[in-house]
Amino acid sequence: MNSNFDLNEYIMHHVLNSHEWLLPFAAPVTLPGVLTSHALMIFIACSLILMLFLVFYRKNDRVPTGLTNCLEAVVMFIRDDVAIPNLGEKDGYQFTPMLCTIFFFILTLNLMGLIPIFSTATANINVTFALAFLIFTLLVFGTLARSGLHGIWKALIPASLPKWLIPFFIIIEIASIVVRSAALMIRLFANMIAGHMVIMSFLGLIIIFGWVAFPALLLAVFMYCLEVFIALLQAYIFILLSAVFIGQMYHPEH
Amino acid sequence: MPPEISQHLGQVSAGAGIGLSVVGMGLGVGLIFASAIQSVARQPEMAKQLTTLMYIGMALVEGMALLGVVFCYLALKG
Repeated sequence: MNSNFDLNEYIMHHVLNSHEWLLPFAAPVTLPGVLTSHALMIFIACSLILMLFLVFYRKNDRVPTGLTNCLEAVVMFIRDDVAIPNLGEKDGYQFTPMLCTIFFFILTLNLMGLIPIFSTATANINVTFALAFLIFTLLVFGTLARSGLHGIWKALIPASLPKWLIPFFIIIEIASIVVRSAALMIRLFANMIAGHMVIMSFLGLIIIFGWVAFPALLLAVFMYCLEVFIALLQAYIFILLSAVFIGQMYHPEH
Repeated sequence: MPPEISQHLGQVSAGAGIGLSVVGMGLGVGLIFASAIQSVARQPEMAKQLTTLMYIGMALVEGMALLGVVFCYLALKG
């Protein structure tokens, strides 16, 4: 039994942001200047997505095949099953590019976290805060720009509400907008960080107890497979809930 | 109460809080999936709409529970 091994510090070192890029079988690379490992992961993810859609995506094919087909299926799914049912025909078309961008960004970051040479940028609360703040801005200023103060009033206060309840409703509804965005932030962050912590804990058991803890490896592999599913599910849920919330603010009548 | 005992009590209650959050999450998500499966069994043609609703409900329940887990973890560390 290895008693001078601090499992907690080991997990935190691998999950938290730092100026070091942790590599398997090699010494960590110290990154220059203000660049942290999670920022580097975001840059890599952006270049991956740009490469995917600018280089590998062949728009001029008459019949899409291979990767083009796969990407088109995902974009079609987001347009037809996420954007249009929740936002309506016109807004659905307008919002599809943004939802696709967020979906592919989150999905790439989530899946990159499962590859040993990369780390998970979505397990950093600053990244998910930025993403959720984008949605918060759309919820507040998007409604304001689209239908003015009257639109926000109609979106927040039901028409048949008794007069004396209106002050309470204003407070509750303002809080609910903030809480919805904060829940988007916390959900992605907590799901990603929790999965990685569980995998790290199982692997840490092996370091502490040695060969006795071999079954923990199987559990870690099981958690890893679950994480692949969760990476997809969280990216989907993020854009689905964004579409639902934006739809509620833009079209309060339904 | 001596300080070391109160510190350990804090740790114990934070750990219990994590456990309780997960119990709540399990109950909630289980109920949602159970009723979604029942509904699909009754009306298979509604499966697509129900899947979306099921995931929205699951995400909302899970989000609240994970909020609890994160705060408990912060309490455990802080």
